[in-house]
Parts: sequence; structure tokens; C-alpha cells
Amino acid sequence: METRLLILNSEPVFQDRSLAMIDAMRKVEIRIVRSLAEAVYILMREDFDLFVVEGETATAIDQAIHTRQHFPSLEIVALTEAAPSAAQSQEAGGQNVALVTADCSDRQLRRQLREFISAFERSSGPAAEGIDPCHSLVGNLNQFSAAEILQMSCLSQRSGRFTFKSGRGNSEIYLHHGMVRHASYGSIEGEAAVAEIFRWRQGRFFFEEGIISQVQTVNRPWTHLLIDNLQKLDETLHMVSVAAQR
Amino acid sequence: MRDTSLETQLRLLTLQTESWKKLHDFITYALDKSKPIISPEQERQFTEVRAILLQESEHVFSELNLVAELSGKTMNVLQRASSIRGVRELSGDETRRLESDWNAVFTKVGVVQGQLKARRRELLSRSAFAQIMSGIFGRRTAAR
Repeated sequence: METRLLILNSEPVFQDRSLAMIDAMRKVEIRIVRSLAEAVYILMREDFDLFVVEGETATAIDQAIHTRQHFPSLEIVALTEAAPSAAQSQEAGGQNVALVTADCSDRQLRRQLREFISAFERSSGPAAEGIDPCHSLVGNLNQFSAAEILQMSCLSQRSGRFTFKSGRGNSEIYLHHGMVRHASYGSIEGEAAVAEIFRWRQGRFFFEEGIISQVQTVNRPWTHLLIDNLQKLDETLHMVSVAAQR
Repeated sequence: MRDTSLETQLRLLTLQTESWKKLHDFITYALDKSKPIISPEQERQFTEVRAILLQESEHVFSELNLVAELSGKTMNVLQRASSIRGVRELSGDETRRLESDWNAVFTKVGVVQGQLKARRRELLSRSAFAQIMSGIFGRRTAAR
């Protein structure tokens, strides 16, 4: 299966050194965008294994960190023209943004990029259906959003586990007497995982009554989570609407 | 077998096609009388697309030996379409000329893109050894 990369590069015709290297790699499909708004617009609709932000060091890191606010689980790499400062590296590291510096020989850069991209080779297949008679609620995320079904379950004081399955992978949210107690998506846990699930527009979900998590990673009331995440989603959709006007 | 220069040409053409499509979306919007509002944001985005085409077209076409054929038509389109409002105010004849020039550029770019994709497909089905051999024998034949 091909590794899908979305590359943000404002000058893809004149600054194409890394692009040419990535394009020459086998089993890699690339899509190039020129602006962050366009990138967010596409990321909202399609799945990519890796998002590469290429450009001048400070700008690339800024844009990568900005994207992280909208997509908590996305693998992001900032491909910078020059080596970043210690503060920039720390800031990027804190936001889980990987850094690759293009300030090296072609051979070194090609090797770095190949190593990096091969680590993201797509392994997950389409989501399994997994419908079981013990699932008390089953549905499609393109008909009911995660926010809607969680709101309904929290209002009715449910306890149990929501499982969400999509092309991006599986995630779980545990409720306890109408409160979100624990959420996980891959290696992400807590509020970041809830934020990720809020953005899913495709996939299936099911609810199993009575399954309680021993772990507690979410401590805030549901209403706070809902308001914060809807606000973040609004900001993302605002960026998307800017790109969509084109 | 992959040819890096062919891949570069295809990448450049894909980017160029995207920009021409975006320009067309704006021209269509400008000519649609049922959409009276032109926002400053739309004008800004139009100028951005126009700037990209002004900067890149010449370079991309020279990489593909298309300058003689397309440069004039490209400049005609970009000069006539100075803004969304400008396109809306063009006369009937000028609008037809704009659309005809846009169509000529887009058609040629599309045809070349198709040819390059076919060439890539052919190369991918060939082994590296066969490619080298055809290169050697091709050169000898040309030298005679």
C-alpha cells in the first residue's frame, strides 16, 4: 500500500529539491498544496499518513505547530531550510512535530527523508465492522457526529464504552455515569483523543453498556469538553471555509 | 524504471493544471450574473492565483518546450483577467477571447500531461536493463 503524504510548500516549482526526492520514492503518493488553509481543507476530507511542512525554518515550524492545534493525532514533520535553534526544536518537540533539516548534502537529505517516510508505511486496512449483539447503539459517523452521540449518552447518564472505527484507526471513549472518564486513540490518551474523535466525519461507532475503564485520563466535565472542542472545530472550519471559497 | 526528469515535468504540469483550474473557477464565478457579490477575500485569492501563474508559467513551459506555443496565449489570459471585477466588466468579444485562450492553454497542457503519463507507464513496464540497452542501441543508430 502506498504511503500518502500531503506536502505544504509555498514555492513548489522553484523550491523543489526535497519534492523531487520524495516524488522519486517508491510506493509514495504525494499531494502538494501551497497554503495552510488549503492543507487544512484537504486534511479535513482525506486521510494522509504524514503531513510535511516545507519552507523557511521559523515559518515551517509555526505552520506545523498551528496544524497540530487542529489535528492532534496527525504525523507532522517540518522540513526546514536551516537547522532550527534550540528553542525552536524544543517548541516543535513539545507539539510532537518532527524536524528534518534540508541544510545538508543531497545524499544525506535523501537518506533522512527515506528513513523518515518508510517509518510511516501504511499498515492499517479498512475498518472492520465488528457488530455484535451486545452493542446497544450502532451507527455511522457521517449521519451522527461524535459530539451528537456523546451528548446524548452523557445526558442520559450512561456508563460504557464507545468504539469508533474509521480508516484512521480505532479509538475508544469510556463513559461513567454520563461523564467522559477515559479516551484513547493509538498512543494518544485523554482530551487530545477526544478532540481527535470530534473531527472524524466518516466511520462507524458502537456502544457497549457497562464496560468501565479503570484508568481515568479525562477530568473535566463533558460540557467543558464539548464547548472547547466545538470551538476548536469552528476555528478549523473557518480555515477550511477560506480555502473553500476558491 | 523511473525517469526523474519525466517525474519532474509531470509534477510541474500537475501544479500548473491546478492553478489554471482555480483561475477558471474564478472566471466562471465572475461571469455568473446570479452571483453579484465579489468579496475582497475572493479578489485577494484571485490575485494570488494570477501571481502564481505569472511567475511559474514561463518556467514550466520552457521545461516542456511549450513557450513558443503557449506563452502568448497565457499572457493574453492573464492580462485580460486582471481581477474578478475586471472579468465581469469585459465585453462579449473579449470574454469569448479570454475563454478561447484559456481553453487553448488548458487543452495543450492536458494533452502533454496525458502524453507524459503514457510515457511513464511505458517506462514503468520496462526493466532497467532494457532501458539501458535501448539507450545504447538508440544512440548508435542515431550516430550512423
